[in-house]
Amino acid sequence: MAGWLDPHDSVAVTLTVNGAPRKVRVPPRRTLADALRDAGFTSVRLGCEHGVCGSCTILLDGAAVRSCLMLAVQGQGHTIETVESLTDGDELSTLQQAFDDNDALQCGFCTPGFLMLIEGLLRSEPEAGRDRILEVVSSNLCRCTGAVPVFQAALNALAANRDDP
Amino acid sequence: MSAPGGGLIGSPAPRRKNRELLTGEGTYVADIRLEGQVYARVVRSPSAHARLLGVDTSEALRVGGVVAVITADDIDDIRIPIRLPFAESPEANAVLQAPLAADVVRYVGEPVAVVVADDPYVAEDAAELVSIDLDELEPVLDPANSTESSQPLVHESFGSNTIGRLAYRYGDIDAAFARADVVVRRRLRVHRLAAAPMETRGLAADYDPGSGVLTVWGGAKVKHFTRALLSRVLGLELTDVRVIEVEVGGGFGTRGEPYPEDILIPLLARRLERPVQWIEDRWEHMVATNHAREQEHDFELAAGADGRMLGFRVRGWCDHGAYVRTQGLLPVVLPMVHLPGPYEWPAFSMDLDAVLTNRTPVGTYRGPGMTEATFVRERMVDILAAELEMEPADLRRRNLIPAESMPFSFMPGPGSGAVMPIMYQGGDFVTAFDQMLDGAGYDRMRVEQRQARADGQHAGVGIAAYIEFAAVGPFEEVEVIGGAGNVVVRAGVGSLGQGVETALAQIAAELLDVPLSGVTVEFHDTAEVPQGFGSFASRSTVLAGNAIAAAVDEMKAKAAPLLGCGPGDVEFRDGTATAPGDRSVGLGDIGPTRGRFEKEGLTASFGGAVCSVSVNPADGRARVDRFALAHDVGRAVNPRLLRGQLAGAAAQGIGGALFEEVAYDEHGQPLSVTFADYMMPTAAELPDVEVTIIEHGSGSNPLGIKGGGEAGMVGSLGAVANGVADAVGDGAEVLTSSVSSARLWHALHRPRRA
Ligand code: FES
Ligand code: FES
Repeated sequence: MAGWLDPHDSVAVTLTVNGAPRKVRVPPRRTLADALRDAGFTSVRLGCEHGVCGSCTILLDGAAVRSCLMLAVQGQGHTIETVESLTDGDELSTLQQAFDDNDALQCGFCTPGFLMLIEGLLRSEPEAGRDRILEVVSSNLCRCTGAVPVFQAALNALAANRDDP
Repeated sequence: MSAPGGGLIGSPAPRRKNRELLTGEGTYVADIRLEGQVYARVVRSPSAHARLLGVDTSEALRVGGVVAVITADDIDDIRIPIRLPFAESPEANAVLQAPLAADVVRYVGEPVAVVVADDPYVAEDAAELVSIDLDELEPVLDPANSTESSQPLVHESFGSNTIGRLAYRYGDIDAAFARADVVVRRRLRVHRLAAAPMETRGLAADYDPGSGVLTVWGGAKVKHFTRALLSRVLGLELTDVRVIEVEVGGGFGTRGEPYPEDILIPLLARRLERPVQWIEDRWEHMVATNHAREQEHDFELAAGADGRMLGFRVRGWCDHGAYVRTQGLLPVVLPMVHLPGPYEWPAFSMDLDAVLTNRTPVGTYRGPGMTEATFVRERMVDILAAELEMEPADLRRRNLIPAESMPFSFMPGPGSGAVMPIMYQGGDFVTAFDQMLDGAGYDRMRVEQRQARADGQHAGVGIAAYIEFAAVGPFEEVEVIGGAGNVVVRAGVGSLGQGVETALAQIAAELLDVPLSGVTVEFHDTAEVPQGFGSFASRSTVLAGNAIAAAVDEMKAKAAPLLGCGPGDVEFRDGTATAPGDRSVGLGDIGPTRGRFEKEGLTASFGGAVCSVSVNPADGRARVDRFALAHDVGRAVNPRLLRGQLAGAAAQGIGGALFEEVAYDEHGQPLSVTFADYMMPTAAELPDVEVTIIEHGSGSNPLGIKGGGEAGMVGSLGAVANGVADAVGDGAEVLTSSVSSARLWHALHRPRRA
């Protein structure tokens, strides 16, 4: 094992983002959110940088996590997905379309974080019921809509997914 | 078959931009990366009130990667001015803020120095090493007591903590109290709130020494004012300053006013001749960006035994924090004009003081002044209803200004200061009030409340009715450029995430009879759009929308000679200007046309909110089970977007009543600096807000539209407080706009007032 790194040293990390491996050099204290943003994934948004708002939510090995609470070096060897991965060519995903249909976004700042949060739920708990969906949706904050329309979009998307998985 | 643009005004057109936002492509200011850019970090006062004896930057300058550190000594002695002439006064102008504190720091968070480094983490490290030498002073923290002579002075040279006193007299107030059967009197407090958009503030600035042009990204609300200010303080030609709006993560009145950073970051970019970016972090946001609402009112209401409200006296203290910022005295002016509300008072007397405290400056937040005034008045109306044992809705209806009395005015009488007269142009408040109750299913709410009570629950119903003044002038200009298959509208307002571009496109498309997809709205860059005043006071759609109507009229005038007919004979059909007899010219042949809409005074609209609330006395938790609001928008350009705006504003208001509060300790240290202490509501704590849109037109502009973006907030604090008061009954008296579980629990468990 190497000794302690200086804050200004940088280390090589390979982040697998949306299916493609990317080599980045980061100081060990750089957060995963900042490293992703520096690598061009600016859909990872920072609303608080202390783990409350959820704007920075990504999928790490399929589970929704707050990327502001992780270091970039911890991303080594994991599969990362951001909102850029949801669209299939020009087609919005069912979940994205549900956001649009339910007016679940206004300024759009919180939107990528909510999308990844609910995408994680869709995949891990496709049978989730209303209470569980509300519990998950209420992990993130939306100042513009209050997130009730986001909850509605999540309900619709999970229902659509069950009907047509 | 209907024409391409027919019926677009009033249609629920989907919001533009959604696709870009859903795929994460939108560019916000933090996403900007400029070649060679450096990062700024602001060093802020850790103390609420202290003499600033010195700032030592030497250690910070030694950190590798640090490019510059500046303090007040390195910049000109300037103050950030008030941008609204009617909110200025000599007293207010005496307590404006400098971009960096020089001799005294007056609130925790006040900028003292700026560190610039080639990496944002390094800038933060170095900022920690700037050492500030302070000699602590006693802070002033209570607005209502700040004017006592025993209190220290926030600005010693000014000599007082009162920077203005507004007096408004109407009718014979002594006679009103003399003939009253009932008088109720309470001291009510409105708590300090923050708009807290999800995106913090941020700026990027770049100065090109070759062309002499300074470009600033991140301005949004009042871009043209910011540009003029920067040109003046940096000594640049107006045309050499560009302010560009990028995607914005919520504004709500606080973002986009020129703050200290809006001068410091461009100044640094110019001085260093390198692009500089500054992104506020959340802690900074909670101490640096304007707060709102805090005030206290001593309110006395006189009424007859029959429920006729005869008059009110109010003495209030409106906190401005440590400095007056760009919005001047609005934190005292706006509550005053909104206190009388929709009732036909024979008399009132208002005295409001604008006061200073050693806390973050106060500005406007969605529904400014009106939300506070509505809480105060509507809470008192409910207290009166309880005293008279009258149904709160009946008491209100009995006192609403009848439609026959419109237009109505409370002209300021003898003893009034220089105040804005309170005038209502029109509207039918009684009908609108009943539409609100019907929309909410008020009678059913009361039935359900009785059932819940019979089951032993603490259930309440709260109402608030209000007047909102919005759509302030003086004017807005647009340019309309027709082309083959595309019409471009350039406007000086801003977007701020409300979807104003969609509404403006609908107006242009309908008036020119082109498909909605054929209209592009540009407002991002001050170099490309006409003069504009910006986006505040729910003015954008009203002002810029009517300016588009004016431009379209002008296009008719220009097309007429080309068509050989009179302007009145020109019609727009399917993207061309046509004259009788089938002559036509393309929109592109008419040439760019400007339109201007001037507007005097404010437009008043009626609205209200009704909610049902349940309280758990064990933990003091209140829950808003239903929230229904109604607002007269004159005419809804896009009912779908409007509903979203109204419901979103109400959600913020409900959060403000139940959870949010910017708190300080006894030393003036802020206690609400993260989202873990400034608690905003999530989907689990909010009802699905129900919206009734009332369209009672408006005589004051050709399109007949009134403001709408803020109105959902206005009744929220009042309705929720009244609902909670109704739920807890005699258990506790609700005298503050915050009905958080902690406050309620204490109120429920403290001995009752005698
Ligand atoms: S930015 Fe990560 S939770 Fe707020
Ligand atoms: S859409 Fe603006 S914060 Fe959610």
